[in-house]
Amino acid sequence: MSNMRIPLFPLQKKSHFVIFCVLTAIILVFSCLVAVGTGAADVSLEEVWKVIVNNLFGSEVFEKNWENSTDSIIWTIRTPRVLTAFVVGAGLTLCGILMQVLTKNPLADPYVLGISQGASAGAVAAIVYGFLSFLGGYGTMAGAFLGALISIALSLRIATIRNKVTATQLVLAGIAVSALFGALTNLMIYHTAVGSDKVKTATYWMMGSLSGASWERLLYAAIAFFVCFALILLLSKKLDVLMLGDDVAATVGVDTGRLKIVIIVVATLLTGIIVSISGTIGFVGLTIPHITRSIVGTKHMRLVPASMLVGGTFLVIADILSRVLVAPEELPIGVVSAFFGAPFFLYLIRRSNAKLGR
Amino acid sequence: MKLSIEKITYSINSKLIVDGVDLGVEEGTFVGLVGPNGCGKSTLLKNIYKVYTPDSGKVYIDGKDMSELSSRETALEMSVMQQENVVEFDMSVYDMVMLGRFAHQKMFGNDMARERQIVADAIDEVGLSGYEQRSFLSLSGGEKQRTLVARALVQQAQLIILDEPTNHLDIGYQYQIMTILKNQGLTVFSSIHDLNIAACYCDKIVLMKAGKIVDIGTPWEVLIPERIKELFGVDAQITVNEVTNRPNIMFTPADSFNWR
Repeated sequence: MSNMRIPLFPLQKKSHFVIFCVLTAIILVFSCLVAVGTGAADVSLEEVWKVIVNNLFGSEVFEKNWENSTDSIIWTIRTPRVLTAFVVGAGLTLCGILMQVLTKNPLADPYVLGISQGASAGAVAAIVYGFLSFLGGYGTMAGAFLGALISIALSLRIATIRNKVTATQLVLAGIAVSALFGALTNLMIYHTAVGSDKVKTATYWMMGSLSGASWERLLYAAIAFFVCFALILLLSKKLDVLMLGDDVAATVGVDTGRLKIVIIVVATLLTGIIVSISGTIGFVGLTIPHITRSIVGTKHMRLVPASMLVGGTFLVIADILSRVLVAPEELPIGVVSAFFGAPFFLYLIRRSNAKLGR
Repeated sequence: MKLSIEKITYSINSKLIVDGVDLGVEEGTFVGLVGPNGCGKSTLLKNIYKVYTPDSGKVYIDGKDMSELSSRETALEMSVMQQENVVEFDMSVYDMVMLGRFAHQKMFGNDMARERQIVADAIDEVGLSGYEQRSFLSLSGGEKQRTLVARALVQQAQLIILDEPTNHLDIGYQYQIMTILKNQGLTVFSSIHDLNIAACYCDKIVLMKAGKIVDIGTPWEVLIPERIKELFGVDAQITVNEVTNRPNIMFTPADSFNWR
């Protein structure tokens, strides 16, 4: 028996892990360049590269032989949009990982649990009724954070029976919570918006969009993301232990109560911020961690950085698809991510049923 | 006393489960906790290893009040082995055992060569050498349980609490795991279902019924037919195991049926 080896995941060696990350990063950079080049005004990859480099260094590194409009399309519209796609993808993936550790269940993710929808409702409430207007530009984000907090409390409360979150309970709680907050969001929008604006706004909050991206919004989302990312990396060993269950983690020496609060705060804060800049984009936090886990394993020191790269790349590519598939129209990006994620979700549910039946 | 328990009470939904338990476990002894299902064994142990907080009473380890120790400090004093719990996320045997080192490790700058050696030694100790890279979820029940023993051992605490450690295991694994634990020379406090296993390994046995301690003593003192009848409602004959010189208990159902 002892010579029988079932490799848990393909990339056990550190060097293989590093190669995987570098390769993903290369794909990411390439996807970003393609994404910036894609759109109504066609721009060559070479031009994209030159415009970006010139703008980054604030001087004419390359001789400028393109029009000013090209410059502004690339630098002020498309580049922040593509980088936002990365931050949103990576951020949702991080939230997914956190929800999975918190519930010890691979089906958990901010969208499935209804937290994204809660954040949406919070953001819309803040915009429509302006009750957080004293926070200025941060009002929407604060609203989204509050909405996320309320929905996570509700969702986890329903999903938890005797300290355990079962797959069935989790999915049912998620359906109920997301239906409730989705309805609230629509109600508020249809109550206040006028004409075709209604449908457009509702689509934005229910199915996500990156069309509102700007450097300014990207900046605060990116800062929040990287702070959360660094914090979670520092906690990675504790997350590994927490996966064994709260009781076990406590006896091994983890202060589970405090750790869980940190996880909830980070996950809801990040979900709130992401939803406030991109609306609800589903399934990213579900599929990406699962796929990455099967490649690099469950240790968070590796899983977190690797899945940030994979998740970011995924959303950049999904954004390209959303703009290309029905050009010149644009699909809501949530449609693209759902087409990929929903079948995967079904597969995971089936797998967890198979486990129970064993 | 390595472990002292003073007047612990604990209730669930206002039903008293542990009813004023006083108990001491001496350094280096192997103490078994025996009693019928639902008598509060597991609840008492959970009060000791801090999954539950007692309604009243205190637990001291080496004279230190456990409620004042942090999770990490507690883990350095006491390791716990529970029944195998269901984990959804798979990991290798090696990684699983390494998690037991958590309380000893700092965020950065650990002596990883030493850490690896400790983990390798423990895996060897429980007879799982060669299984390091195997998937934990693919293991058999006995292998999983031995992995968890190894994880408890690398914690290098002087006291180990076992909460039904050998449930669901076949008789071979039950004896194997108890022998591994007995050989560590640690202070052990364990709930045990099988009275012959308790008789074989324990220096002292604590009998518990309806949340209270009924008797404490050596296996010969407490594993007597009257007590067994009182606790479990079965008749028993006690003989001596010629090899171990320990009591050997044979049971006869109280409600007679025609077994001839």
